[in-house]
Amino acid sequence: MMPGRRFSRLIGTDGAAIAIALLLVGALFAVTVPEFAAVGNLRYFVAEEVPILVITAAIALTIIVGGIDLSVGAVLGLSAGVSLWTSMSGLGPVPSVLAGVGTGALFGVVNGLIIVGLRLNDFIVTLGTLNVAAGLLVVLTGRIQLTGTDDDAYVAIARTPLLGVTTGILIAAAVAVLMHLLLRYTTFGRRVRATGLGVEPARVAGIDTGRVKFLCYVVSGSLAGLGGVLLASRLNSVQAAMTSGYELTAVAAAVLGGVSLAGGRGGIWQAVLGALFLATLRQGFRLLGVDPMIFAMITGLCIIVGVVADRSLRDLANRLTLRDTRRSIGVAQ
Amino acid sequence: MTASPATTRRSLLGGAGLLAAAGLLAACSPNGSDSTASNAGPSQGPASGASYDDAVRSIVDGREIKVGFTPPVLSENFTQIEHAAFRKMQELEERFGCTWVWERQSPVGDFSAVQGTLGIVQSWMARGFDAIAVSTGANFATVQDLYRQANAEGVKIYQFNQPAELYPEEELLTVTNVGYDNRWQSGYLAGTYIAEKLGGSGKILQIWGPSGSDWTRARKIGFDKALAENPGIEVVGEADGGYVRDKGLQAAQDLLTRDPDIDAIYGENEEMALGASQAIDAAGLKHWDGSDGILTIGADGLMSGYQKIREKKLTATVNIGGVDQGQNLIEAIFQTVVLGQTVTQFINNPTQVVDLSNVAWHEAYTQWALDAPKTYGS
Amino acid sequence: MLHRASGRAERLISDPLIGILGLVLAAAVVMAFVQPTFLSLSNLTNIGGAMLAIAFLSIAMTVVLIAGGLDLSVGAVMALSAGVAAAVINNGVPLAGAFVAALVVGTGVGAVNGFLVTRLEVPDFIATLAVGGITSGFLLYWTRGVPILGYMTPAYEYVGGLRRLIGPITVPMLVLIVLALVTATLLHRTTIGLRLYAVGSSAAAARSAGLPVNRLKVYAYMFSGFVAAVAGIYLAGRTTTVPPSMGTGYEISAIAAAVIGGASLLGGKGRVLGALVGALLLTLTRNIINLTGVESSWQTVLTGAVLIGALLANHSWGDLVSLLRRPLRTAAHTEAYPEPTTREG
Repeated sequence: MMPGRRFSRLIGTDGAAIAIALLLVGALFAVTVPEFAAVGNLRYFVAEEVPILVITAAIALTIIVGGIDLSVGAVLGLSAGVSLWTSMSGLGPVPSVLAGVGTGALFGVVNGLIIVGLRLNDFIVTLGTLNVAAGLLVVLTGRIQLTGTDDDAYVAIARTPLLGVTTGILIAAAVAVLMHLLLRYTTFGRRVRATGLGVEPARVAGIDTGRVKFLCYVVSGSLAGLGGVLLASRLNSVQAAMTSGYELTAVAAAVLGGVSLAGGRGGIWQAVLGALFLATLRQGFRLLGVDPMIFAMITGLCIIVGVVADRSLRDLANRLTLRDTRRSIGVAQ
Repeated sequence: MTASPATTRRSLLGGAGLLAAAGLLAACSPNGSDSTASNAGPSQGPASGASYDDAVRSIVDGREIKVGFTPPVLSENFTQIEHAAFRKMQELEERFGCTWVWERQSPVGDFSAVQGTLGIVQSWMARGFDAIAVSTGANFATVQDLYRQANAEGVKIYQFNQPAELYPEEELLTVTNVGYDNRWQSGYLAGTYIAEKLGGSGKILQIWGPSGSDWTRARKIGFDKALAENPGIEVVGEADGGYVRDKGLQAAQDLLTRDPDIDAIYGENEEMALGASQAIDAAGLKHWDGSDGILTIGADGLMSGYQKIREKKLTATVNIGGVDQGQNLIEAIFQTVVLGQTVTQFINNPTQVVDLSNVAWHEAYTQWALDAPKTYGS
Repeated sequence: MLHRASGRAERLISDPLIGILGLVLAAAVVMAFVQPTFLSLSNLTNIGGAMLAIAFLSIAMTVVLIAGGLDLSVGAVMALSAGVAAAVINNGVPLAGAFVAALVVGTGVGAVNGFLVTRLEVPDFIATLAVGGITSGFLLYWTRGVPILGYMTPAYEYVGGLRRLIGPITVPMLVLIVLALVTATLLHRTTIGLRLYAVGSSAAAARSAGLPVNRLKVYAYMFSGFVAAVAGIYLAGRTTTVPPSMGTGYEISAIAAAVIGGASLLGGKGRVLGALVGALLLTLTRNIINLTGVESSWQTVLTGAVLIGALLANHSWGDLVSLLRRPLRTAAHTEAYPEPTTREG
């Protein structure tokens, strides 16, 4: 009985389905496309996904707390621009990183103040700040061509090879782990989840929900800023509208990973797996040379199949648990 | 389009050399930038001497050439370029016995999906493609690193329809840039055409592509030069039309409301110019009839635009030489990948303002490309 | 009698939409001074014409939001329906037949959305994002990236609003008005409408009350697909060509318009009138930017600021009224009205 129960518990875990889906798709591509699993290719394509991974963690946090931060993509782009601009002005890597993360944090504070302080709708507010950030990047790049810094230290932030990968990838991984720990094992994390499940009950339980929400937006903005620094450091170039549409990918990744848009449910690592799943699909199809016109259709289908499989897997887990329980009761009698 | 495909093709191929030469003269830019048309390529070389063909055949040795082709979006313009490429591929295939593996991928989304382009190029590098042809909204600096990596791995990068003229030639990491000079062969042409038709004075509106685009930047440089040369032309309004018709229409409508007394509208691309043309209809204003009305001019050279020129709904457009770009791109790939030759960094193609007077042959030429009997890829 | 009248008046005043209308009005007054052509009939007609596509889609979105869903496929469905209408006409079918085909396709995609969300329990965001991707991918594949042309007829020019009926009035304007009235009546005067609000407010509560929650949600998605097809038929006429990228970005505008108009992503809230006002505000922003000649690089920043400003206007009006109303309410009557609020949980 025990292995069966362990199995059902395993597949019933949040994020198990997305992990299995990721493994399956990854294995499929590794077998069918010889270039897929090549180390250089994997390293490049994960490095390419670093900004998306970071803002997926950010957006997942704001969704779990019961809001949504649509501005992450545009803020990431603007932060990248500000950070690279700082570096190009000769201010050195530390001020440049601070400028990028600071820009993101500033947007987080603004989002938080408007949403929590003025109690306005988060979707529209962050859609508004998305436009503001995207527009400011247009203005910035219109004045100054952000075509690269000579500061090798700045470029090294995301590009230095380390432990077989790059520092950019390691930083993104660290962000995912830290965010996961923050949400899972700290008082703050518990408060975030409680607030997401219901503002009123959380308030009754003595949680300052406004403060929690505000902090989530600040963290989200800061992460977007960090993602921007990593992007600018890797490409050593920033242009307008570079990150348009990132927010939708990030939300899709989070929801694929089981984060509920209603708030309160889901975790960071599952969301990050969702982002990796989408990235794997994209890269696999690219390497297969699938016509991009069909590509969009297949990706859509894969996403739906993925979610339905997740659903069925959970149902199966429930049934297995139920059966095991019944049996163990039967044995006991 | 009365000529049979075969004769059209032959005469046009013959004409291509002439056109290229004409392009050289026409594009004598004030800056003296390298506007050289592709010369003496294999197919335009010594007239079908059997020994020459055999010699090339023996070098080709039936080899397969793997080409990746990535436009910034899938659109009519890039479909025309691609089909022109198919024509040339088939020609070289039949003549020299090479075979082509052609893959087209474009980032899903809009012109700004720059990261997508980088990923596509990288995946082709990983798969060992012989040639990667790129047109992207990404600017020079954004692609530098990837191209450097490609060069290191021996993968050849070609850009097409790319405003590479904005960047220092010595820093370009491409084999070549098959295109045209957006400043003098597009923006400047449109500006001077307007000035000439209006007799040197008039009020105009400009509808630009998305702010921050290199194409917009380059064409603006050219248009501004035309304005400087024609002080009687006054820009009374400009707006962002995002390269799409609906936005171009709304922008033109709004600008026309503010100032209906307008002589010409410049749409930086054809879709926006066509939107402006509709705005003229909607406002009950008169299209240009050769001496009076509102003149509209765009840039691209699309079949849909030519149709509107014939209907007199669009006054003119700048044909940016999409067919020649497609053909010369393939020639450049053949010359460099198969024969190991070098080509010039800028293969600029002839462009021309197309209006009612010359729309027929431009349209027939584009149609000839679109009618490519053999297509490649999926 | 007196009570009811004052109640209605109070409800009108406390309507959060008044805040946004005030913003629109203020903008209009300022613009009238800055740029007198703003109030000209031709400019107002332009605004009317330019807002139509977003207005249709925001009505579609509002209905889905009321039912507690979200439809990110409206832009793609609009484009596909436009393509279907154009292609069917090019095959020699009369206009009416082409429109029916487009409406069937739009409604069909809506039904697929509904099926995925209810039967397969795919989260609405993912389901409609994926269906939107599949839909626009299909249009791209079908057209090979080349716009569909050559379907325009004089009759279609009426449909697209390129030819006017009487004065500044066009066919699509009338269609929008009729659609808005019908939708509003459906939402507020029929059982289905009231049940949609119930489903959106709390699916669980609605289910335990015996409502066919899934079926109602499917209806909402089908309605959304239908209206998106109407928008597609119109837009194909307005732009006289259907490029495969036609619908890009429209879904976000539609959501923004709906939410500005009082709909909530959490469901159970929203009005047709609100959707229209939201669409008007978005269109007005662009119109004003174009008229005043703001440097194009600042346009996006301004659009963002307007979004937040609109919400703020909406919200502060509600606050102001409830502040003023408090003594009034206790004095007049005890009947409770729903709090005017834009707050999200």
